[in-house]
Amino acid sequence: MNARILVVDDDTAISEMIGIVLKAEGFEPQFAGDGAEAIELFHVMRPDLVLLDLMLPGIDGIQVCAAIRAESGVPIIMLTAKGETTDVVKGLESGADDYVVKPFNPKELVARIKTRLRPVLPESADTVGIGDLVIDVQGHEVRRGSEKINLTPLEFQLLLALAVKPQQVFTREMLLEQVWGYHYKADTRLVNVHVQRLRAKVEHDPDNPRIVMTVRGVGYRAGAVS
Amino acid sequence: MRRVDWRAGLDRLRRLWSGSLRVRIVAITVALSAIAVTIIGAYISTSVRTNLFESRKDQVIAEAGRAATSAQEVFTTAGEASEAQDLESVFDAAADAIRSAVTAPLIAIRRGPGQDGQAPFIDQASDRWDDSMATTTLRSAVLNSDGDTVSWQSLAIADQSGEGTDPAVITGSLLSVQGQDYQLFLVYNFEDVQQTLDFVQQTLLLGGMALVLLIGAVAYLVVRLVVGPVRFAAETSEKLAAGQLEERLPEKGDDELATLARSFNRMADSLQRQIRQLADLSRVQQRFVSDVSHELRTPLTTIRLAGEVLYDQRKAFPPATARTAELLHTQTERFELLLADLLEMSRYDAGAVQLEVEPTNLVRLVEDAIEAVMPLAKEKKTEVRLVAPGGYFEAEVDGRRIRRILQNLLGNAIDHGEGRPIVVYVDSDASAVAIAVRDFGVGLAPADMARVFDRFWRADPSRQRSTGGTGLGLAISQEDAIVHGGDLDVWSEQGRGSCFRLTIPRHRGQLLGGGSPLDLPPDDALDLVQDQGEAS
Repeated sequence: MNARILVVDDDTAISEMIGIVLKAEGFEPQFAGDGAEAIELFHVMRPDLVLLDLMLPGIDGIQVCAAIRAESGVPIIMLTAKGETTDVVKGLESGADDYVVKPFNPKELVARIKTRLRPVLPESADTVGIGDLVIDVQGHEVRRGSEKINLTPLEFQLLLALAVKPQQVFTREMLLEQVWGYHYKADTRLVNVHVQRLRAKVEHDPDNPRIVMTVRGVGYRAGAVS
Repeated sequence: MRRVDWRAGLDRLRRLWSGSLRVRIVAITVALSAIAVTIIGAYISTSVRTNLFESRKDQVIAEAGRAATSAQEVFTTAGEASEAQDLESVFDAAADAIRSAVTAPLIAIRRGPGQDGQAPFIDQASDRWDDSMATTTLRSAVLNSDGDTVSWQSLAIADQSGEGTDPAVITGSLLSVQGQDYQLFLVYNFEDVQQTLDFVQQTLLLGGMALVLLIGAVAYLVVRLVVGPVRFAAETSEKLAAGQLEERLPEKGDDELATLARSFNRMADSLQRQIRQLADLSRVQQRFVSDVSHELRTPLTTIRLAGEVLYDQRKAFPPATARTAELLHTQTERFELLLADLLEMSRYDAGAVQLEVEPTNLVRLVEDAIEAVMPLAKEKKTEVRLVAPGGYFEAEVDGRRIRRILQNLLGNAIDHGEGRPIVVYVDSDASAVAIAVRDFGVGLAPADMARVFDRFWRADPSRQRSTGGTGLGLAISQEDAIVHGGDLDVWSEQGRGSCFRLTIPRHRGQLLGGGSPLDLPPDDALDLVQDQGEAS
């Protein structure tokens, strides 16, 4: 079955053009022109991935992103017209997994979509421990004791990447390559923001992390299994 | 040591003098009024002394005249009455007459010199009389005078304690006793006159000093009244300069200071208005930039996607259409680069650039940048060498911007390097890090060197460029350097190549001391390349 992709952009020309590119790659795109329509359509079509423009009339992209994230872990890739710092960070903080800056080329867009749709999970045992958590790799589940913790696929992938190599200190660049599939220098804010989001979900005290540990000046590593 | 102290004190005085209008005005006023008071005081003191002395002297002379007359009468009467009268008693009578006529002077009666015959009586004098008191000048003046005039002279006599002297006046008059000349000397002590004079002078001195102090105080008060508002105005303009645009001076009354305050406030109003206008303009510009960004990029994205789709299928097109697709592809890319650079430039112009600094190893950054230009370098068969002579290269920088500068400099060096090696230097000192990119290509004419950072300026329009630059690269690089508190400068010589040097402070917010850890151009660059040339 082909992946269904919800494309949200108020510019019909760009939506149509993205549609042509996606169809050529074998995806099934559907289109929404504003925020309200996007949320409505999201409920109807249950897409496998959302391409979301940040500048929308009415309900803006950031709000749409937060609304979708509130009920689903579906991969969200932002399309940002501005390369401005604040917009990107706001989008990522409201739950977007990744972003592409307009104008982008079609190969870049397709590569981003494919990475998010088919995450490459590291080889590992069926269950992996990190801190006081247990990751069920096959079941895509994270548990603390009997309590299940809901993570988005990206957060799951990030946590698992750290957990399978507990001795390894990961630089942000390594994580960008392993989790986001960037093979060149990309924006390390992606890592920073998602580590914050992940910590907010898995740590007892996000200000004093025990599971995703910071290694100052280098990056991150897994907390010891307890 | 002492000399140094003295000089330091002098220096401090000089600073105080030139640094404070208040000190200067008060000092000048006090000095001038002191001179005036001294002159007036000296005049008063002199005239008082002259008057006191003259009146006392007149009094003394009158007295001496009366005494001489009384004595002469005694002698004359005695002479007429009886020649055989006891001279001793006559003399006593004369002395009594003198004593009753004068106020406690020293008295001496001396027979005139050069007279023949028996002296009617021997010379007599008070105990403390000394013959040296009557000088020869006085004696001859007395002898040459007639009986009615009194001659006088000033002199100093021992005072009562016997240690100092008192001012005094000696009078001399001529007496005639039985046809013989006798001189009557009277010595008057003028100590009381001196005392009065001293008292007057002391009073004058005290009064004068008090007056000068008073004038000083008044001057200080007046200066305060004038300088106070001026100083307040100075403080207020400092605040204005520091950006507190709401600061104003109070406007009271109609005097000169109020005029100053009013015009100052008008100036501040106008400044504030203009700065507000500029700020508004800047805000409008920023909004415009962000709007343009969105409005242009959306259609450009569509064009680019369309172009790519066509480009990917160009092999299926007839040759002319295929070439069209290629041109569309490359020119869209160029347009995109140009738009990105333009937007970056206008962000700088609007002052809307924010740095994201983190401690970064600059050598790693340089290695990354070199790696990024390797495809181009290989194409041009240019070797890029890195010289980083050890040291600690961590600095707080925005890695993305520094990498952009480096790629830009490297791209230019490869473009203009004529295939000769390019040397990248990295060095640092305690406060700054520096990166220099040196090529040995065509170099720049001196006139061009001043223009390399100008927008849309190109070294040689006829040159074919491989990096497809927008003409904004170096202008943006320079802004990137400046926003780091650093500097980007250039050295170039025709035929010897160019060197661009980036210097940035190690810590955010620090200032460059003016120097750089690297010379421009680094000395050993040529050696390195020559060594390498010989080796190969």
